[in-house]
Amino acid sequence: MAGGLFGQALVIDIEGDRAAGTPLPLDERVLRRYLGGVGLGTWLMHRLAPPGGDPLAPAAPLAFVFSSLVGTPLTTSAKFAVVAKSPLTGLLTDALASSQFAIAGKLTGNDALVLRGRADRLSVLLVDGDGPRLEPADDLAGLPAAEAETLVRQRFGRGWRTAAIGPAGERGVRYATISHDGRHAGRGGLGAVLGAKNIKAVLVRAATKVGVADQAGVLAAARDLRARSFGPATAKYRELGTLANLLAFNAVSTLPTRNFTAATFDGAANLAAEELHDLRGVARNSCASCSIGCEHIYSRKGGGSQRMEYENVFALGPLCGVSDPDDVFAASARCDELGIDTISAGGTIAWAMECVERGLIDEPWLRFGDGAALLRALDAIGARTPGLGELLAHGSRHAAARVGHGSIEFAPQVKGLELPGYEPRSLQAMALGLAVNARGADHNRSGAYEADLSGDLDRFDGGAAHVAAAVDTEDRAAVMDSMILCKFLRGVFEDPFTEWARLLALVTGWDTDAAELRAAARRIVAAKRAFNTREGATRADDTLPPRMLATPLELGSGRTAALSAQRLATMVTGYYAARGLDEQGRVTSDDLADLLLDA
Amino acid sequence: MATIETVRTAAGVVLAGGRSSRMGEAKAGLDWHGSTLLYRASAVLARTVDGPVVVVAAPGQDLPDLPAGVAVVEDPVEGLGPMQGLAAGLASVADRAGAAFVCSTDLPFLHPAYVRRVLRALTEGVDVVLPLAKGFRQPLAAAYRTGLADLVGTLIGEGNLRPGMIFEHCAVTRLTDEDLLADTDLARHDPDLDSVLNVNTPADYAAARDRPPPLVAVECFGALAKGGTHRPREVRAATIGAAATAAGLTLDRHVVAAVNGDQVTRDGRLPLVAGDTVAFLSADAGG
Repeated sequence: MAGGLFGQALVIDIEGDRAAGTPLPLDERVLRRYLGGVGLGTWLMHRLAPPGGDPLAPAAPLAFVFSSLVGTPLTTSAKFAVVAKSPLTGLLTDALASSQFAIAGKLTGNDALVLRGRADRLSVLLVDGDGPRLEPADDLAGLPAAEAETLVRQRFGRGWRTAAIGPAGERGVRYATISHDGRHAGRGGLGAVLGAKNIKAVLVRAATKVGVADQAGVLAAARDLRARSFGPATAKYRELGTLANLLAFNAVSTLPTRNFTAATFDGAANLAAEELHDLRGVARNSCASCSIGCEHIYSRKGGGSQRMEYENVFALGPLCGVSDPDDVFAASARCDELGIDTISAGGTIAWAMECVERGLIDEPWLRFGDGAALLRALDAIGARTPGLGELLAHGSRHAAARVGHGSIEFAPQVKGLELPGYEPRSLQAMALGLAVNARGADHNRSGAYEADLSGDLDRFDGGAAHVAAAVDTEDRAAVMDSMILCKFLRGVFEDPFTEWARLLALVTGWDTDAAELRAAARRIVAAKRAFNTREGATRADDTLPPRMLATPLELGSGRTAALSAQRLATMVTGYYAARGLDEQGRVTSDDLADLLLDA
Repeated sequence: MATIETVRTAAGVVLAGGRSSRMGEAKAGLDWHGSTLLYRASAVLARTVDGPVVVVAAPGQDLPDLPAGVAVVEDPVEGLGPMQGLAAGLASVADRAGAAFVCSTDLPFLHPAYVRRVLRALTEGVDVVLPLAKGFRQPLAAAYRTGLADLVGTLIGEGNLRPGMIFEHCAVTRLTDEDLLADTDLARHDPDLDSVLNVNTPADYAAARDRPPPLVAVECFGALAKGGTHRPREVRAATIGAAATAAGLTLDRHVVAAVNGDQVTRDGRLPLVAGDTVAFLSADAGG
């Protein structure tokens, strides 16, 4: 077997109070073609997920997927992917997280752990060299993930690493997260999938080792990469963290505000890293095996601290019209305690606030700009209280279907996943990326905003150059998410595919080159799309909320930015052509054969 | 009232031909703070209108560099003056815009607020908005329906080469100084209506160059923000490059700029006008 890999996944079937593990041999051709992480997870879903199955049914698989790089000294490589069919979108979802869980999970002797079934009571699942087993965990019911992690470590010992859900995951909130050392596999409701299996936490413990093909080469590459990770390409993350985006995005009219009715926010400065950095004590932290240190942890008034990122501040701040940083800090903390995705929570609540304004939801207290109302809504969602909580716990698409009266027109979602903090009308390469991505509206699987903000193309007039940018950034994300490397490193690579191929070759011993990695990227994207097609997705899903395609955006310059349905459709068609898909966006039969779905 | 829509579908046309006989050299290529007068005029239109921007050149005319996205239209016939350029310019954008702001290349202080004010007057039923600024008609700092291209062509064919002839055959709204300055944005940033000040002689040109650059605000964000520089501070700068220098920055792979929340750019030659806010940000924004 190639370096850094075990050549098998462990399929863990949970039933009653027992868990049984069955090794699933992984052909080296599959590992090489899909790399690991998101790529391998997608292949596993093709193999193991029942077509058309309910994502919250016992038979639905949930995969924790590692890669050959996990456990090496390469900076940012202690990452893993969690992959499943999403209960929010009904399509493929994958989320990445960084923690020691990645290393310990892999060193159970498996390239992936796949959970199926359902325990008959709330339990924790332990996996080590002796295989899987269940332990009852009734006492953990309702606890935040962080508290549950602390308790299970006390109970089972320090050698275990954990992935846990909060109360929202237990209650099936469709955008519940899985937490690991305070980081989250956040998007698409993976926490609800784990909760549906009655598993509060997964614990893994290292039991073996795995060598790499060229130990000296890997060490030298790790030193080089680490040195480069201290350079200007990562300065933003190091100095202010991702929250540095907020004021910059506000300045370039791309900060979604009040449910995407504006792209600048009067209260932006109150929430800006540039302001808060000096006003609040800030501590920096790094993920496991990372030399960037992007985490910025702010002190809260009245005590305590909170890790703040651009996405949670955007979603719980401007998107809901909230400008008091302490309200946003408190809302972020509440999301962490409940274990819910901040983007989907903020987007769904912002949609509900607009519904209240329009008289479509009779909850007059739920107003844009009201921080207390935001917290109250979050609590309702976490508890799935009858009425508003139950409505919003399913996300904005589902809620809009229930509320009706055209509210789907302004539900801020694609394929059911709420939009991240990038205004599509003023970032039209990103608009395409958001529309066509398999996971739904997503900024991590499509980073086309890079092209929009590069100054190299007209960001208000999407066309062929935007299509090329969307394809290119999606390809790069597919490789980074599968190898796995943190995307915050992306700027340090001058010739990414060549450099990544060299890293992969040093670890595995494969003679991988840039062309092979480009083919792998294309294959991974195709495999995701093929899975979604299998689950019923069509061309009609590759779009944006109708209001965005009908309403121009006013810019600070006095001009407007408009993205018509026709322009987006033209770009989608161009994307299909560039990807070799048919006119309905389906993978063609030739490419299907390349996916090795029967291997 | 369709003013927003009208502006949104307007094009920009810069007439770059002309003999420049009193200047003694082509005005289009005259230096303007490191770029050229033509670069400035076309860039000001490009940042103001939402439709296409074209430069109309005389047959075989060598043009200096133009901003990204600005197209060149060659005037098919030489020596017929601005009417021929107007016809060619309007015809070239008629399929993409219902109206156009048309100007000559020699307006070194043309302000976007002036362009917007003039275009805003092009309401339903109006074919031309003709400013009467500083005591003169300003047909080369005016707004036209692009559908007038045929009329202009007909007039040229009949030997009518004076722009004034157009106004006898269509609906014209005239804007006085008072009308123009009723626009608060224009009154604040161009109270003397220098937007229509053209340079015809070396002395005009020298006097224009001697003026201080406009007062603009600069902000730096993210990793570029040091010591409170994310808050606006005023500098004098005629181009984005000059503003970057004033902020202690260089536009490169890692640093880009945006003016008033509009396009992101690395082009340091792009012009600034009074009242602009220039944001500098890391090119790797996002993530």
